[in-house]
Amino acid sequence: MTGLFLTGAYTIGGLLFVNRNKRINSLLLIAYEILLWGFTIFACFNYKHTELDYFAFDSLGILLLITLSIISIPALIHSHLYISRQGEKPQSRSIYFAAMVVLLTSISAAYLANHIAVVWIFAELTTLSASALIYHHRNKLALEGTWKYVFICAISISLVFVGILFLSLSLNQAGNKDLSFANLMAHSQELNPFWLRLAFLFIFTGFTAKIGLVPMYTAGIDAKDKAPGPAAAILSSVLMNMGFVAIFRTYAILAHTSLYHWANTIIFVAAILSIFVATVYMMKVMNIKRMFAYSSIEHMGIVMLGVAAGGIGFYAAILHVILHSFVKSSLFFQYNQVYRVFQDKNIYHLGNYFKYNPTGAVVLLFGFISATAMPPSGLFVSEFLIFRSLFEGQHLVMLLVALLLLTIIIWAFGKNILKILFTPAVGFDDSHVPHIRPLESLSQLVLLFGAVWLGLNPPAAFVHLIQDAVSILPM
Amino acid sequence: MTNILLILFIISLLYLSIANRLVTYIRVLALQGFILFGVTFLALEEINTLNLVLILLETVVFKAVAVPVFLSRLIKRNHITREAEPYLPNFVSLIITTVIVVVTVLLANSIKDTHVDKIFFIVALSSLFAGLYIIASRKKIITHVMGYLIIENGVFVLSLAVGNEMPMLVNLGVMLDIFASVLILGIFLNKIGDVFKDVNVDQLSNLKDY
Amino acid sequence: MLSFVLIALASLFFTGVIIRTKSITAGRKGPGIMQPVKDVIRLMKKGAVYSQTTSIVFRLAPVVYFCTVAMAALLIPFGSSRGVISFNGDFIFFAYLLGLGKFFNIIAAMDTGSSFEGMGASREALYSLFAEPAFFIILGSLALLTGNTSFYDIFSALHLGSYITYALAVLAALVLAMIAMIENSRLPIDDPKTHLELTMVHEVMILDNSGFDLGLILYAGYLKFAIFGAIIANLFTGGMSLLWALVVFVGTQFSFAVVIGLIESFMARFRMNHNAQFIFALSSVSFLIFLGVLLVLGKFI
Repeated sequence: MTGLFLTGAYTIGGLLFVNRNKRINSLLLIAYEILLWGFTIFACFNYKHTELDYFAFDSLGILLLITLSIISIPALIHSHLYISRQGEKPQSRSIYFAAMVVLLTSISAAYLANHIAVVWIFAELTTLSASALIYHHRNKLALEGTWKYVFICAISISLVFVGILFLSLSLNQAGNKDLSFANLMAHSQELNPFWLRLAFLFIFTGFTAKIGLVPMYTAGIDAKDKAPGPAAAILSSVLMNMGFVAIFRTYAILAHTSLYHWANTIIFVAAILSIFVATVYMMKVMNIKRMFAYSSIEHMGIVMLGVAAGGIGFYAAILHVILHSFVKSSLFFQYNQVYRVFQDKNIYHLGNYFKYNPTGAVVLLFGFISATAMPPSGLFVSEFLIFRSLFEGQHLVMLLVALLLLTIIIWAFGKNILKILFTPAVGFDDSHVPHIRPLESLSQLVLLFGAVWLGLNPPAAFVHLIQDAVSILPM
Repeated sequence: MTNILLILFIISLLYLSIANRLVTYIRVLALQGFILFGVTFLALEEINTLNLVLILLETVVFKAVAVPVFLSRLIKRNHITREAEPYLPNFVSLIITTVIVVVTVLLANSIKDTHVDKIFFIVALSSLFAGLYIIASRKKIITHVMGYLIIENGVFVLSLAVGNEMPMLVNLGVMLDIFASVLILGIFLNKIGDVFKDVNVDQLSNLKDY
Repeated sequence: MLSFVLIALASLFFTGVIIRTKSITAGRKGPGIMQPVKDVIRLMKKGAVYSQTTSIVFRLAPVVYFCTVAMAALLIPFGSSRGVISFNGDFIFFAYLLGLGKFFNIIAAMDTGSSFEGMGASREALYSLFAEPAFFIILGSLALLTGNTSFYDIFSALHLGSYITYALAVLAALVLAMIAMIENSRLPIDDPKTHLELTMVHEVMILDNSGFDLGLILYAGYLKFAIFGAIIANLFTGGMSLLWALVVFVGTQFSFAVVIGLIESFMARFRMNHNAQFIFALSSVSFLIFLGVLLVLGKFI
């Protein structure tokens, strides 16, 4: 089924690329959604099986695959609405949708891959397709963002490859050649620690470009700034999850060796620095999309704090990752409506959003509450659990620093969002504001409420899957 | 013989740190391609012939011929000026590159594993960090691309160190090479040359947190 | 003793061959091979003029310079015969002897009170500073390779067998040749023919010397060339018999002189601020020679 899914999806991508007809475009997208959902349901029923030697339907993969499938529906719908409103050339439309389909497929394949080299290949594919999405508007700024993204991701992918080479060197001593995660974890005690250390350093540094942590987060900021709204939603939710999966699985290999504490230190450093960087930039940023992008970095920093802290933190990290995808993507979907009203991204020129689009304003307000992890948002639950794991792990200084930085972020985020929602806009001529149908905000409300529900009253199957996903780590 | 070629590779890295003109960079990259061809030929004896021929072709055709030709055509087409504009004087670059090589040698000294040939490790890490340094210390965008190609060469040398046991990894490395080079060089540098009139990194600072 | 005699003989012809090569490549016939020696003899017959602002240092310096160079020549072995002076660690003594001579040159140049000569002296000091690590690292690597620390012991134990030792020896010879060019202030570091203020390095230091002093300084320069040529020849004459060693010696000196002549004919001098990085590059390359020696010794698998 995996092979069928991959070939089918890439064929649809290819067809989208050559097709110029609007109706066939929509039909192909519907076909893709059916294929994606069919594959997801198949994966749920074939829990714990391995296909094609390289794809395993394990808990983490299935969780993130379901998340991707859920988010892909509004992504494609909003992309369709966005493109049809822009009056674009058929060629750029076909590139956009082909790239989006390829991106979604590569990410789902990377979720399920159980061999590190396969993850690496699909990560390369995501770079290629994401850059096509970022370059959609084809102006100077978009070119700049695309170039930065491609270049930094290319360097990061090379670093990951060096890490894979070191990993194979560490495996040499075990007399083995199979680089699949299962094999590596089984032989984790026999791996050469020197090479394993280097391998983790390089793989972690390389994948920080995808997950959005210090040091390679810079690629993502400009990318999310320049990509069209729905594409930016995908980039900042599901793509970051792919980076998380890769790092998580590599970390799981190290968790059973003597390098466990060293790996935790490295992750702590990166996570705290990421939250710090996000705080600094959130205070001065004036562009609403960049603000959302920095918020993503902050959330990923919190997630990695949970991973490094251990204990309940593992569970909380995965919960946070899933909920964050829902919240952040809904914010980015709402951004398109903001732009339609104000025609500007600069927060200085935005304001009084409640007057022009009440439903959208409610979404924005609720999204802000969710993103800053205030109750009743589900993110409150996961962040609270992460703080609890930091406290239980005696990392008190880290906890205090994180809390302080998060407070500043809440202030900065709140200052901007409340200005957009309530303060009258500066120099805004509101005679030509288009009427925005409340129906378009429905998807975002669904996502946000879904995040609340999953956080406060998660279904048993959901909890069971997460607990199974973290069972590979030492408790 | 492999050792001589690899020492020659490091000398080319040192030369790159004091080179002034873009043409010299391209020539050094071509030379590195030929050196890698020799090293591949001598190092990978245990993998099957077809694989070996493919990898050899990739080093010679791609690294030594195609990429330098493409780069020189890019320079001519975009009227990029001859000089590689560094932020730091060349003397400092030379010192930094030498320090990188020394640090790598010291790091390699602490490896207790006898399976791996340490000279490969030294050359690979030196090229990696020297490439990163070249990217960070030069103004022009095309020197960034050349720095990335040097990183690729280093990664290739490292994959040769494990190549005998796992030829798949060498193939993956080759694939990375071709993919990244085609993507970066082929598509975007052309576009950048068309859109930005002066291919400096200063032009790429418009995306700010305004 | 044999090596000292050979070096003295070689020094008589060395510069003549260089000038002759340059003339022939320029299409002229050029002066005779013994012309530089005749120049020195002419200078030695003349009286010297000393400036009023100089002191005893200025009069002492050329003598010290010449004596140090001549003493350094006593250290070089030849084939299977030792130098006149030979002890453990004598290559360090060698380097610092030459350094002493250069030091006296520098302070004599500054003694004249001319800022012009001071500028040349500071440049000379800078280049020697950067070339010194290169020399020590090369000879240190050779000492590490053979396990001995005196010139004679190093060179006689140096057996060039495998590919890599040959490559290292060739590389070391190249670096030593460049060091020789730096020490003697030839192209591409310093042009001996230029008399433009901004571009002189060594010439400007000896601008105020005349007569016997100038003759001493010039001849010491020729001797230094021959010394470095002898060191390079020694890299290859490990344990050879006397006749073969003689052939290699004469061949090396001659080809070294011709190569210097060719380089001087076809290359321009580097820009002044590129000189420093070029000389430092030699030190970096000699570090690589050290790395190669470690590889050969197997201290590094």
